[in-house]
Amino acid sequence: MNINKTVNATELTVALEGRLDTATAPALEAELNQSLAGITKLVLDFSALEYLSSAGLRVLLSAQKAMNKQGEMIVKNVNETISEIFEVTGFCDVLTIE
Amino acid sequence: MIKISHLRKEYPNATPLKDVNVEINRGDVISIIGPSGTGKSTLIRCINKLETPTSGEIWVDGNCITSKKCDINKVRQKMGMVFQSFNLFNHMNVIENIMAAPMDLLGKSKQQAYDDGMQLLRTVGLADKAFNYPDELSGGQKQRIAIARTLAMNPEIILFDEPTSALDPTMVGEVQAVIKELANKGLTMMIVTHEMRFAKEIANRVFYMDEGGIYEDGTPEQIFENPQKEKTARFIKRIKVFENLITSKDFDFIGFNTSLEEFGRRCGISQKAIYRMQSVFEELCVQIILPELSKDFALNVTAEYSQEDDSIAVQIKYSGKAFNPMDSDNILSLKLAQNAAQSIEYAPCNEEGFTNMLVVKIK
Ligand SMILES: Nc1ncnc2c1ncn2[C@@H]1O[C@H](COP(=O)(O)OP(=O)(O)O)[C@@H](O)[C@H]1O
Ligand SMILES: [Mg+2]
Repeated sequence: MNINKTVNATELTVALEGRLDTATAPALEAELNQSLAGITKLVLDFSALEYLSSAGLRVLLSAQKAMNKQGEMIVKNVNETISEIFEVTGFCDVLTIE
Repeated sequence: MIKISHLRKEYPNATPLKDVNVEINRGDVISIIGPSGTGKSTLIRCINKLETPTSGEIWVDGNCITSKKCDINKVRQKMGMVFQSFNLFNHMNVIENIMAAPMDLLGKSKQQAYDDGMQLLRTVGLADKAFNYPDELSGGQKQRIAIARTLAMNPEIILFDEPTSALDPTMVGEVQAVIKELANKGLTMMIVTHEMRFAKEIANRVFYMDEGGIYEDGTPEQIFENPQKEKTARFIKRIKVFENLITSKDFDFIGFNTSLEEFGRRCGISQKAIYRMQSVFEELCVQIILPELSKDFALNVTAEYSQEDDSIAVQIKYSGKAFNPMDSDNILSLKLAQNAAQSIEYAPCNEEGFTNMLVVKIK
């Protein structure tokens, strides 16, 4: 998985490319832990995300909790496969998906 | 149309072709399969004279192409070749790539080469890319251009060496569709491929290569459903079945997923179904079962593809106390596994080394 970050003042965009799974979720978690200070808007761009597992969902959930305290989090460009995963797990009710 | 007798090719450290004898008829579409290193590429390259055979003869349309007197350029004009890497000229745009050889070698006028080239681009669905450069195209589009360029020489025979191996999974289908169209038009073709569904669907004849030659030559039904010889049968079985034993929590997760993906691609199942298999493995085995297992354990995963109903059955066997993953409190992983599966059945197992068994049908 590739993690591409773009910071614009207090807005952080994180574009993920590849697989967010048991092997790669810890890298995203570490990256977010380091970068969320002072951020009021976190945008997760999933246009190149191909695969998502529960390990990745758990990282998304803790990011959502962190951002609830300091601003907002938006998930965008979700493909059909990933969208199905948000549906069946109920994550579509927890996340803001554009 | 092609007659090969006593073909032998030696390299300093290997003799991939020992004694190949075969006849290929006009209109034959032949899939060439087999383990790597068994001379599939060498055979194709000898036919095209990219390699010089050590001994033996190859006749194409009554011309002995292995004799010194043979005008190889004439023979090559009849014979197109499509490689794994596309070999387009990057400094020329698409239509220039296609026009070059017909103008240089067939003496076509620029206008004629252009008109014919555009027609070919339409047949591979890429007329709107005529003025793009190769760098601006996806791998699948480049390979379709490479096929159009080969067709521009009006070949009677086309040799393909793993035409889809270098492509992203999402692009394999578009290239295979173009090759299938050519087969329907009656071109004589030989195709080396690892994609077994494609190999089966496109060909009227399949060569299984092993032991220094064409080990078994038969119809797709014979080779894939009812192979007559031992090594063919073993190879076909290995293609349809995936098996992996895990005995350490530090097993190679990425390698495991990669081999599941390769298994899926060999069988020609969709990318979506591959993700579903991986999801079942990750959620059930990695997230739910592994944490329940104590230090010395065995977890065996097999997946089997059935061509009849185009389905995959995954069997997961593991040691330890009786544990049905459906009772796990890891609801998130269960939901994902259930989303990927058509059915999940648990049963105790009394095979040696295993106490639990799950049978999962992938959606
Ligand atoms: N140019 C070469 N020089 C030396 N050995 C070669 C050469 N080409 C192929 N070989 C050897 O010949 C054998 C068959 O190769 P190849 O025809 O490429 O197999 P396949 O296409 O079936 O995987 C291999 O052992 C390979 O290492
Ligand atoms: Mg080869």
